[in-house]
Amino acid sequence: MSTLEFALVAFVLATGLATAVLRDVLGSIIAFAAYSLGIAVVWVVLQAPDVGLTEAAVGAGVTTVLFLLTIAKTVRPSGERTLERLDLPALGVAVALVAVLATTLGALPPVGGAETPVATSEVTSYYLENAYHEAGVENVVTAVLAAYRGFDTLGEAVVVYAAGVGVLVVFQREVFA
Amino acid sequence: MSDDATSEPGSEPVAPEGSEVDEPAEESATEEPAEESPIAETASRPYVESPIIMATVRVVAPFVFTFGLFIMFHGADSSGGGFQGGVIVGTVVLMLGIAFGIGPTREWVDPSTIVVLVGLGTLGFVSVGLGTVALGGAFLDYPVFGTALGVPHPSKYGIELVELLIGVIVAGIITGLFFAIAAGTRGGESA
Repeated sequence: MSTLEFALVAFVLATGLATAVLRDVLGSIIAFAAYSLGIAVVWVVLQAPDVGLTEAAVGAGVTTVLFLLTIAKTVRPSGERTLERLDLPALGVAVALVAVLATTLGALPPVGGAETPVATSEVTSYYLENAYHEAGVENVVTAVLAAYRGFDTLGEAVVVYAAGVGVLVVFQREVFA
Repeated sequence: MSDDATSEPGSEPVAPEGSEVDEPAEESATEEPAEESPIAETASRPYVESPIIMATVRVVAPFVFTFGLFIMFHGADSSGGGFQGGVIVGTVVLMLGIAFGIGPTREWVDPSTIVVLVGLGTLGFVSVGLGTVALGGAFLDYPVFGTALGVPHPSKYGIELVELLIGVIVAGIITGLFFAIAAGTRGGESA
């Protein structure tokens, strides 16, 4: 693990912890935006720029604005304490969940390893060899998303559409106003 | 605020001392699209009028919009795509809302336009898929456009059309969520 990666992980952990324990919601939201930005850089470091772009735009950008709009309708908690009081049962559940997930870490291949199932899969090599001829685009991720798995992407788009319809139904409006 | 609108062509952000000085902080709202008196709608609106933010957004917004379109279209050849580009295009409206007030921005965009755009985007995506089926191919089988209609590079342009439609959907929903959350359920509980 290089120095950059170590610093990134430390930053993400610190901002994630700050998001959880800060009592002021505004501070929590800012910490969460920083956390998303850190995660976005992690995606780039892990060679997944498409995901990093999404994380930066949605997680660090739009979600933060929507959260800020929401808390503008609330009041800030009174009191002097900076940090949230520790909720022991919730902490226990969180630690147990992390422990369960951590048991799978040993089964994961090293990052960027040549022997990972993804790298050696026939499907991967098929896409890498044929995507440009068959789909006509140079970005294999886009070829898979929009051409090979276009039906799935239609489903994703419809999910976004359905989310908007759901908001309108909950607000009992016909337009977003 | 409405009586200030008559003096707007002078574009003086601060009214000359005289008749209208009884309105303390909202004088400069007459400077730009914010003349619809957004503050009157809600007292708790998180809108802070700042010439720095307005000037910055005015300069940056066209570039952000272009960048969003670039991400949308250039997703075929580099990182990006309809979802990411759509979010970035939607961010432009969020920036305008933060700079010039959400109410005036909502009036400018027109909420029904958003619903129409999102619906048309989804409909367009489905009809691209059904269109390839109608032309004798599989669902979203773009090369059919080339064999049946003679479109050059059918797969590339088909993918970019779909990315654009996804971008329209996502940008519309982001904008709509922004407006909906800003408006809240105020006045809508009994509807």
